[in-house]
Amino acid sequence: MIGVLACGPGGGGTTTTNLAKDQVLRYNIGVEPNSFDPGQQQYTYEAAVGRQAFEALLKPNKDLTDVEPATAEKYEVSSDGLTYTFHIRKNAKWSDGQPVKAQDFVYSWQRLIDPRLGAPYNDYYVFKGVDAASKLKASDPADKIDGALQALGLKATDDSTFVVTLAEPAPYFKWIATLWNGAPIRKDVVQKGGTLTDPKNTWATKPDTLIGNGPFKVTEIASKDHVTLEASSNYWGGAPTLKKMVFYEISDANADFAKYKNGEVDMNNVPLANTDLVRNDPQLSKELHETPQLGVRWIQFNNTKPPFDNQDVRMAFAKAVDRDKLAKDVFKGRALPISTFIPKGQSGNNPTVGGDPQKFDAAAAKDLLKKAGVTSLNVTYLVRNDTANQQIAQFIQDQIQTNLPGVKITLEVIDSKTVTSRLRQKNFQMYHGGWIGDYPDPQNWFDLFKTGSGNQFSGYSNKQYDDLVKRADVEKDAAKRKDLYDQAHAIIVKEVAGAFLWQGKNFYLLKPYVQNDTITPIDEWPGCYFSKNITIGQH
Amino acid sequence: MPQGRAVNLAFYIVRRVLWMVPVLFFVILVTFSLMHFAPGSPWDQEGKQLPPNVIASLNQRYGLDRPLPEQFVRYIWSAIHLDFGLSYQYENRTVLSLILTGWPYTATLGLCAFLLIVPVGIGLGVAAALRQNTRTDYVVVGFSTLGASVPNFVIGILLIIVLSVDMNKWTSGAFWLPSGGFGLDHHLIMPVITLSVLPITYIARLTRASTLEVLRQDYVRTAWAKGLRERLVVVKHVLKNSLIPVVTALGPTFAFLVTGSVIVEKVFVIPGIGSTFVTAVSSRDYPMIVGISIIFALVVAVANLVVDLLYVVIDPRVRLT
Repeated sequence: MIGVLACGPGGGGTTTTNLAKDQVLRYNIGVEPNSFDPGQQQYTYEAAVGRQAFEALLKPNKDLTDVEPATAEKYEVSSDGLTYTFHIRKNAKWSDGQPVKAQDFVYSWQRLIDPRLGAPYNDYYVFKGVDAASKLKASDPADKIDGALQALGLKATDDSTFVVTLAEPAPYFKWIATLWNGAPIRKDVVQKGGTLTDPKNTWATKPDTLIGNGPFKVTEIASKDHVTLEASSNYWGGAPTLKKMVFYEISDANADFAKYKNGEVDMNNVPLANTDLVRNDPQLSKELHETPQLGVRWIQFNNTKPPFDNQDVRMAFAKAVDRDKLAKDVFKGRALPISTFIPKGQSGNNPTVGGDPQKFDAAAAKDLLKKAGVTSLNVTYLVRNDTANQQIAQFIQDQIQTNLPGVKITLEVIDSKTVTSRLRQKNFQMYHGGWIGDYPDPQNWFDLFKTGSGNQFSGYSNKQYDDLVKRADVEKDAAKRKDLYDQAHAIIVKEVAGAFLWQGKNFYLLKPYVQNDTITPIDEWPGCYFSKNITIGQH
Repeated sequence: MPQGRAVNLAFYIVRRVLWMVPVLFFVILVTFSLMHFAPGSPWDQEGKQLPPNVIASLNQRYGLDRPLPEQFVRYIWSAIHLDFGLSYQYENRTVLSLILTGWPYTATLGLCAFLLIVPVGIGLGVAAALRQNTRTDYVVVGFSTLGASVPNFVIGILLIIVLSVDMNKWTSGAFWLPSGGFGLDHHLIMPVITLSVLPITYIARLTRASTLEVLRQDYVRTAWAKGLRERLVVVKHVLKNSLIPVVTALGPTFAFLVTGSVIVEKVFVIPGIGSTFVTAVSSRDYPMIVGISIIFALVVAVANLVVDLLYVVIDPRVRLT
């Protein structure tokens, strides 16, 4: 809807009706999506396309405070929090005109759990029966797998009613229903590309068979060059004003920036090296939009081996890094310093939790190290081999060596997959990494430091923390939930589950003629959640 | 016993083609072993990790849970049937289809570059040799040194800045080269130039050195003494002899050009297979890695065969054995 964009960090241009003849939006997603099947997608550059060609049950509102209807026009939760009933819009249609049915959601969500698909996000879908189904192997007999999938808590009581039964109450489940990989899939569409569970099935590789229910449909896949989407006239909300979107796959940031300057693309994610240039340019600075990301990075220590099995040593390191300087010198203002876990803009954000023990304090850091009985220390710092990560590591290395005399850090810069492989084997001492929220609920964050979590490799384990998070994840009362999470938050900050350092910021350039573009902190590209509203003014 | 050069030639070619089979087998064996020795698996991610049961499913799907020798034998068997497997990175797409989609762009670019390099490189080299120690010579040698010292991504980016962004500004959008992308038109200009600079420099230097040597030969002196025109001397007497080492160098040059330059493809956003190979290695996309290595080995083998056959044409003293 035009005209509702006064607030928030988004919006490019005014709500004028001087529309350009060609309503085309061009953006560079940087990498070719590995797959166009939403069930198999996981990266932001894949969601960039997936979220436009397909639509999930719900979507976030623009402030990320709650969800709003998408393909489902409303939903109810039972009083015990276990049953979610989604009502599919009667006028929800696929791009080929067929109606979207509840059975399409049943099939799609069963498919996410099917071991023969190997969906990357299947650990997020926590309905009844998932535990048993996740023990299945792809080589198991087909009827055994199908039987387990049918036993999942997923039912279509009629064509427009999709009922999900959870294994245990989960107040954050409404957010799972906004994930783009939970979009419906039609069985007959998949069968057009081959047999249902065959990895050679090509339905998602060609525009003719890639039929989705989103506001746009994929009309051209030029491998390694671009993907073209066009407005879907069958979309329940009416065809978007934008007639066409072109997503380029340019991996070189300078080439992308050159294209923006030439007017060959309409939006740009500013390369870090060009930050100052853009800020100081009279024209470009007017086209700049800054948004905090819901992403935090920290130093991850190997808590299972010396020297970082000692909490005081970890805290000394955490206190030895000047985060303001990091944000200013390395990120040129494109980062927010943070010394707690939850980023600004995400509920649960609490900059003073636990007394903010990790904040920069070089003197206290030295004292702590002395208290730990450490006078000299040699540490190796595992770093992924791209320029950005190397610069960050060099800064951190310098800070720690300066503020903690006696500590010597050696950088080990290696190829990305080798780094992950070593992290898995706990063959490392320190490393920096982080998390970007998949959806704006604190559960997505706090689960990270539970014992046995597969998404961080410190080996951190605290039973009290596990217990608090477990209770908070299912707590329905908002105030109690916040309190539980705050207590858990205080624990990991005080015990240095990670040395939290910075929160990212997005710097987007938008041409002045890109109008009604609502930017949120979780965008894959600026305005992706509300692409139906975007218009192109005359230029 | 069959007689005649044509039949000799045919036998020679057949023998060389048959030799490619064990060579390819060896290439596959070495590539296969090396890539599996590299640490890290295709399923290791940077941010959110894949759930363990998904990793198990994927390993099963691609046969990665079987012992390595068994995987190798299975691969050879499928390869013989021209089934080079599915890409790990690009789900549901076969290695063959990915290579066939990307290669035409790379090959076109490489071919255009080659067609530029041969006349320009050889021409500059001959010109420099004929006018040794004059201005022409110094210009050619100077350009060669410069061209060989500047990395090609610098050349590429400079070209984009000047011929695309700046030209756009100076002519107010009237005339400028597109900053990237592939097209059988002016899109080719900058990438072909960037790709050609380094090969032109070493072909020029090689031609110059080789031509200088031939120019000192007695039969060339005789030709000058006879009063023959320069053009006749060069084309009839000098070139054929001086080009032998150049043709040797052109073989692998052609192979490299046609199998892609990662850097040029990245800077000019050409959807070819050069960058595919590097991406495949860093993603541990094993079938892609082996598939592209096979292509590369084939192209090099064919290029070497063509070079050997060209010797026969250029130098009648060479016999095929």
